[in-house]
Amino acid sequence: MTWIMIGGLGILVAIIMNSCAESKKVAAKSGVQLWAENCQRCHNTPSPNSFSHDQWITLGMHMQTRAQLTNEERDKIISFLTQ
Amino acid sequence: MFDPNEDPEKPKFGFMRIKHLPTRCLILGFALLSIVQGGRAQQTTAADSALLERVTTLEQQVADQKPGESHLMIVGLTTFGFANSKTVFTPPGGPPQTAKANSFPDADRYELSPMLLWRHGTKWLVEFEPSFSGGSLGVNWANISYFAAPGLVIHAGYFVLPFGIYAKRLAAGWIDKLAPDPQGIDLPGSDFGIGVSGGLPLGNMKWSYDLSLTNGLQLLSDGEIQGVGIVDNNKNKTITGRLALLPFSNSSLEIGVSGLYGNAADEGSNYSNANSTMYGADLSYVKTLKPFLFNVKGQLSKVLVNRQNYINPVDSTNYTFDNTSTFAFAQISIRPVSADNNIVKNLELAFRYVNNTTPSNSLWGQNYNEEDIGLDYWLSWRTVLKFTYAKSHAVSTQKVSAGGTLGATDMNTIYLQFALQL
Repeated sequence: MTWIMIGGLGILVAIIMNSCAESKKVAAKSGVQLWAENCQRCHNTPSPNSFSHDQWITLGMHMQTRAQLTNEERDKIISFLTQ
Repeated sequence: MFDPNEDPEKPKFGFMRIKHLPTRCLILGFALLSIVQGGRAQQTTAADSALLERVTTLEQQVADQKPGESHLMIVGLTTFGFANSKTVFTPPGGPPQTAKANSFPDADRYELSPMLLWRHGTKWLVEFEPSFSGGSLGVNWANISYFAAPGLVIHAGYFVLPFGIYAKRLAAGWIDKLAPDPQGIDLPGSDFGIGVSGGLPLGNMKWSYDLSLTNGLQLLSDGEIQGVGIVDNNKNKTITGRLALLPFSNSSLEIGVSGLYGNAADEGSNYSNANSTMYGADLSYVKTLKPFLFNVKGQLSKVLVNRQNYINPVDSTNYTFDNTSTFAFAQISIRPVSADNNIVKNLELAFRYVNNTTPSNSLWGQNYNEEDIGLDYWLSWRTVLKFTYAKSHAVSTQKVSAGGTLGATDMNTIYLQFALQL
């Protein structure tokens, strides 16, 4: 329990010490890069042809609730998958 | 008007009165040309009309197909397979007792769960997943989410509590690398309530939060706890939350800490001051080191109930114990994603270690560990065939005077499982 509390405090300190803004490096990431990095955190990366335009928008919102994606990540990934 | 003095040989029509031949030819030529052009114009107009009509029909069809604000789709999953197990129970000082079993579907992983996702615009999302699993119908989740602002999603209904990483993200059959779930990792499960969650940037890092206020857990008469369900058992609510940090800009590493606290006692029962407390930590690391993709997952959960007096079912006396349980798993999988051979690149080798400790001197106390090894073949990104061998060893620490039994249980199970995302 002690280690868990220390870990939680560490995360809070990291949040407080950094601004809630993304760096230029992160802001410059493309949709395909975010798709490759985030989808594989839990499952295999999906093929863009698997779903239609509307379906990807709906699934993107569902994935945002599951994986706590940022709004920008979700929008860029959906934009790549629906192009 | 009849003119008696008119020359009968004189042409009556104007054209024929023109005596100059070239002029007559010219006028005739113009007349013929006009007739032809007129005919062509009629044909072109007819063709244009047909074309316009066709274009209008197509435009209408396109308009009918244009996405509106609402969208409903069905996804979900199905998992089924076969399990063959051999269980050996060895009582203290007694001979081992062996039992064998096999089943279609396997003991704990048959599931058909179609998930309905209904979206209105980009602000509202309803998620509903009924489930047929283990021979009965149930609901995995049924909730509505409102995407209020960047980094803020408000949800309400029946949802998976934000504790750890496994239940919310890794439990689906087409995601889990091994056939069985890690034993004990199902707490605290799903509950009714409200919550907020979101992911936010943090320089090169990213962090996320997930908080909920729900009905809570229920303490049973033997000290175990379970989800209370739709009818709350007391006036108190339970708070659950997870905080996570992704320290690398490529999101390859995620570290999370979770907590839960709330009263678990039935209103008016002898356990009125019984509080359930859970702590957890989880880790996820996914990294490509060519030609392999390494996927590491782990979770540690601790469940505590403050000390209570329980009723001995044998003689109705009181007994007590330190109601602390620990559940943990760690797994790694390796997949040669860069292999040239199409069969080899779709193979994935996975290994998991599970360790549980439930309270000694309770009716359900044991020390349990399990090792799973599996080989998966990915037919597509969301379709997998799994072969898993699981070996477990459990030593009972139950209170014998309350009706518990002592002994060691060894189980070997072979799973063959097929999982598909619908």
